[in-house]
Amino acid sequence: MSNLSLFLGCVAPNRYPGIEAATKKTFSKLGIELDDLEGASCCPAPGVFRSFDKTTWLTLASRNIALSEEMDDDVLTICNGCYSTLKEADSELKKDPVLKKDVNEKLIETGHEFMGQHDVRHVIEYLYQDIGVEGIRKMITTPLKMNVAVHYGCHLVQPLKEADSGLVSGTITFFDELVEATGAKSIEYEDKMMCCGAGGGARAAALDATLRITENKLQKMTDAKVDCIVNACPFCHLQFDSGQQEINKSSCTEYAIPVLHYTQLLGLALGFSPEELGIDLNSTNTAVFIERIRNGFVTA
Amino acid sequence: MPSNIERCYQCGQCTSVCPMGEQEQTYKIRKFLQMEKRGLANEESMMLPFIFYCTTCYRCQDNCPQEVKIVDGVLEIRANAVHNGQMLRSHRKVAKMLFEYGHAVPTTPEVMEKRLHLGLDKMPPTVQGSDEQLDEINTLLQITGFDRLLEDEVPEIKLNEGLTCVQQPGSELSAVEEGA
Ligand code: SF4
Ligand code: SF4
Repeated sequence: MSNLSLFLGCVAPNRYPGIEAATKKTFSKLGIELDDLEGASCCPAPGVFRSFDKTTWLTLASRNIALSEEMDDDVLTICNGCYSTLKEADSELKKDPVLKKDVNEKLIETGHEFMGQHDVRHVIEYLYQDIGVEGIRKMITTPLKMNVAVHYGCHLVQPLKEADSGLVSGTITFFDELVEATGAKSIEYEDKMMCCGAGGGARAAALDATLRITENKLQKMTDAKVDCIVNACPFCHLQFDSGQQEINKSSCTEYAIPVLHYTQLLGLALGFSPEELGIDLNSTNTAVFIERIRNGFVTA
Repeated sequence: MPSNIERCYQCGQCTSVCPMGEQEQTYKIRKFLQMEKRGLANEESMMLPFIFYCTTCYRCQDNCPQEVKIVDGVLEIRANAVHNGQMLRSHRKVAKMLFEYGHAVPTTPEVMEKRLHLGLDKMPPTVQGSDEQLDEINTLLQITGFDRLLEDEVPEIKLNEGLTCVQQPGSELSAVEEGA
């Protein structure tokens, strides 16, 4: 038991379970046992459901938050899309008593109630603010020697802006600092803050165009000679990892950049093996990368 | 969340930084905002299916000198289209997943194997493993009337040749399944 419940969303548990395993294992190492959020649904996805019907989106989001409140927990998300939905829904309902009453009249039909007495946290924001860069650095047992392309993702930055968070005023560095706490180096590359291409329901609506956005980013990362991409969102993760295969097929390219969620990178630095973190389960082959990790990256 | 698109003075700074606009010539966010402002129904249909291409990356909004809440505007245009029966077929499939599994992207036998291999439960502790919890989702979707949005399918607007995205065989399914 802790005061955090792990909100899984859709893509992590159902496509990239390595991210789920890595989150649980790394938090456990940090002394935090995350509670399961039983019965949680799709957040629901901000791009599709929020834009289709606001009431539906708000109602399902509030159910997810209510499930966590019933355990007296804050919600911990590992996905930018989930963060965007749950954080925005949470703050709208806290701000607007009429809206809250309206949503609760629906929720009560399923026996739940949104109280608005807890918070929604993104894993990156939580680690940065509650554990701290120094706190992480002290826990590291296997400092990493690799060059990383950090991908923040639009829906990590935007909710923080809306919450008026100091994390996003001026030059944004919080994610890079967390990456560097593992010993890895965050490499500057062109268009670093650009979208992965997938969000907003665009991947379903216009796959090919989204992949061309992704390819632009992959090219900039390749130019910067990075060893891997580190993200904070399973959906960006999917777009970069599966997307590389789709791009290679359609554009006859040979992109082969390993893609890691931050919890997987942190897991490596805390001494877990790549297999324990599911890094071997990506679509884009990570065998060479894993071999290099075993050799301490001396051949880099 | 009323948008404030009436503040837009059509400078085009949004279109100039839009990654989707760079890929799809027909995707012009400035033009869409103008059409929406003028409220012409026939022009609204000219925005389809493109308005659903927005990745909601907020780059346009960060670049707008008038602090127009562009993404809120996009969401409003989409909501109107969806309430007029114009949900894209690919999004309709994602929406149906929500009824059936409580997830936009449900699990697969292959992923269950991966989960076991990682020491996780075969089925995540989410709604998809419980009929009772799934009933809750369906109850709520009925109360909000979301089920009715999926009822009548209006034939999807066909794109002119050259504008359609060419999809690899087999990629449509994965795009739909993972298109949340
Ligand atoms: S940047 Fe702002 S003011 Fe300029 S056209 Fe776009 S929305 Fe309108
Ligand atoms: S939010 Fe949509 S319209 Fe704005 S820049 Fe991103 S893709 Fe373009």
